[in-house]
Amino acid sequence: MPDAAPPNPGNAKPFLATPKPFAPEDEASLREALKRCSPSAFESAVQYRKTGNPEHVPAVVIGIIERFVEPDLRIKLKDADDDLRLIEDLGIDSLTMMEIVILVEDVLQMSINNDELRNLRTVGDVKMFIDCKIRGLALPKPTKFLPIEQIAAVMPIQPPFLFLNEASVSSSGANGKYKISGQELFLQGHFKNNPVMPASIMLEALGQLAVLFLLEGATPEPGKVISSSMIYFTGCEGVRAHRVCRPGDILTLSIKPKRMKMPLATFEGAIRVGQEKAAIAEEITLTFGYAEAVVPPPAPPAAEVNGTAPTKPTTPSATPLRAAASA
Amino acid sequence: MPRVFITGLGFITSIGNDAVSVTQSLRELRHGLELYPPFQTPEIPVKVAAPVRGFNTASTDAEDWTFPAGISIKRELLRGMSPHVVYAWCAMQQAIADAKLGEADVSNDATGLYAASGGSPYLMGHMLERMHKLGVMRCSPLGIVASISGAVQFNLVAHFKIKGSSCGFASACASSSHALGFAYDDLVLGRQKRMFVVGAEDGNMDAILPFAGMRALSLSTDPATASRPFDTGRDGFVGTGGGVVLVLETEDEVLRRGVTPYCEVVGWGQSSDGHNVAISHPEGLGLRAAMTNALRSTGTAPETIDYINAHATSTPIGDASEARALRAIFQPSGARPAISSTKALTGHGLSLAGAMESGFCALAVRDGFMPGSAHINQLDPECEGLNIIRTTLSQQPKFALNNVSGFGGANVSIVFKQAR
Repeated sequence: MPDAAPPNPGNAKPFLATPKPFAPEDEASLREALKRCSPSAFESAVQYRKTGNPEHVPAVVIGIIERFVEPDLRIKLKDADDDLRLIEDLGIDSLTMMEIVILVEDVLQMSINNDELRNLRTVGDVKMFIDCKIRGLALPKPTKFLPIEQIAAVMPIQPPFLFLNEASVSSSGANGKYKISGQELFLQGHFKNNPVMPASIMLEALGQLAVLFLLEGATPEPGKVISSSMIYFTGCEGVRAHRVCRPGDILTLSIKPKRMKMPLATFEGAIRVGQEKAAIAEEITLTFGYAEAVVPPPAPPAAEVNGTAPTKPTTPSATPLRAAASA
Repeated sequence: MPRVFITGLGFITSIGNDAVSVTQSLRELRHGLELYPPFQTPEIPVKVAAPVRGFNTASTDAEDWTFPAGISIKRELLRGMSPHVVYAWCAMQQAIADAKLGEADVSNDATGLYAASGGSPYLMGHMLERMHKLGVMRCSPLGIVASISGAVQFNLVAHFKIKGSSCGFASACASSSHALGFAYDDLVLGRQKRMFVVGAEDGNMDAILPFAGMRALSLSTDPATASRPFDTGRDGFVGTGGGVVLVLETEDEVLRRGVTPYCEVVGWGQSSDGHNVAISHPEGLGLRAAMTNALRSTGTAPETIDYINAHATSTPIGDASEARALRAIFQPSGARPAISSTKALTGHGLSLAGAMESGFCALAVRDGFMPGSAHINQLDPECEGLNIIRTTLSQQPKFALNNVSGFGGANVSIVFKQAR
């Protein structure tokens, strides 16, 4: 499980802990380097180079990305969320990525290794990556994209009660999609001759995405692994349904962690269909436990030959998360 | 044996950026030479060059470049280009439109592209300087593909989605004639149905001035006479750049598409001096053999050739050597084909020369004229007995021959014939 390996300490060296004095000729070369970027990117770069304050970095990075994006796609960056994808949404290929990196290195006076770039797939990944490098923090886990097979492999919840078709998980949250097929058993009765996705099931889907985040995206205490068989629903606040969802609709789900302290993790969640808001939950709280704390009794004795507890939980018995909201 | 025809042309040259203005310049003997601004400093003894007009590629940053109205190139494409690639890209678009080729005609297994250029010493120099100054990892990711000598075909093959044969030729000033010759062979052998032949050069300071070291460049300060092939006072060549594209097609394709070709490519010949790395054989033995091979392989008698576009670059040794070769081939039969060097008008395009002058031959054969050899004040006695025409003749050559010679003593002759 290479993703869980501790970050290479070599990557975590702080850059510009004390900024070098910023000479007028530095400003001139910075202006030349950023001549095709927005004025605000240049201003932010000057501020960063003068003060070393990482708060100026995102504006520089976005300004540099924008400069390399074809003009008709730049509008996407205007009010971009961090999930905007570099390749799929912005048309940035690997060579353009190298151009971006070279300019970022030049402007922010840092160096970036090739292998550090492989996992950068979204604008958020890039911002987070540069921020961590500058602050000398460990690099976050890269965004993971999980097709249904991988989701089913890690989740305690299984079909026909799994309401995710695909998902992406990063250290800052998770996104998923679920297409209402019309074949869901409960739609036969909800409602009579009028199939409508139950709001309770939509909340369930958000909860499942939060479970996936706990298993694939969350950073637990060092040496601990969250057990997939110990995650349960505890409560939710501010749940509102805004749109009737029917067969054929594709639910776009997103959750972000708000608080996380063993044994509780609280998330905010939202569901869209296209650009329309379908449902929100201000808070969904799950309870979780670590695998080491309570090792599930292994069924076959063969698993215990060397007497050590498995670091990764064995396939758990399915314990569906239960949504308590009323439809 | 399948016949091969030229069905489309594209020109970005010092004497015009389209076939119409090139034809006019050739007919009226209008030259493209000027006092080239980058040379006008005391340290540079060379003053005259023949740059293409309407393009500004002075910056090392391609996004600073400006092009004639109507031409825009996306950044995504431009980043892998150097000036000569831009010229070739424009000429390619002209040639495709001229030959009335649709997308499917351009991009298929039976359509290829052969090209020649000396690369971009200018961008190569810039990139290496950056590497030495800022470090290896700060080289532009596409610096190599934009500057090495294959740059022109890398870009054109990718951007025009060429699926057939593609490669580059590196025989210096003979390069794009080699490209044309081997493109012809591929068509005759049935390997391809259509070939683009491309010649291109930056023609800027870094492409031209290194020739000053071997004393090959004219030091004249008068653009009107600096390039004067076959004149006794010639003192070296004048550099030029640009891009020229020819479309070659088999007879079957010409008939299938119902297009009217410029002329037929009847065949070609080549030969090497085996003499000196940079200097032509004084008797023009290699070029003589190339012409002999071209005439023999096409079954053409010397006396049937009406017009010869000579390689003559306006260097003292090279022009004399070619004159001797021409005398050896044509005088025994008493043939007196009209001979001219259009380099008096264009300057010498190096790797571009063969494609450019083959394009000129195609225009001459189709439009019925033979461009004069301009700027001759006093004809070199070496040319005695040769019919070097000083003015443009309004006669249609039925057969035309184009000569080129490159470093290492590489020589290529190509025979063109009126299409019927």
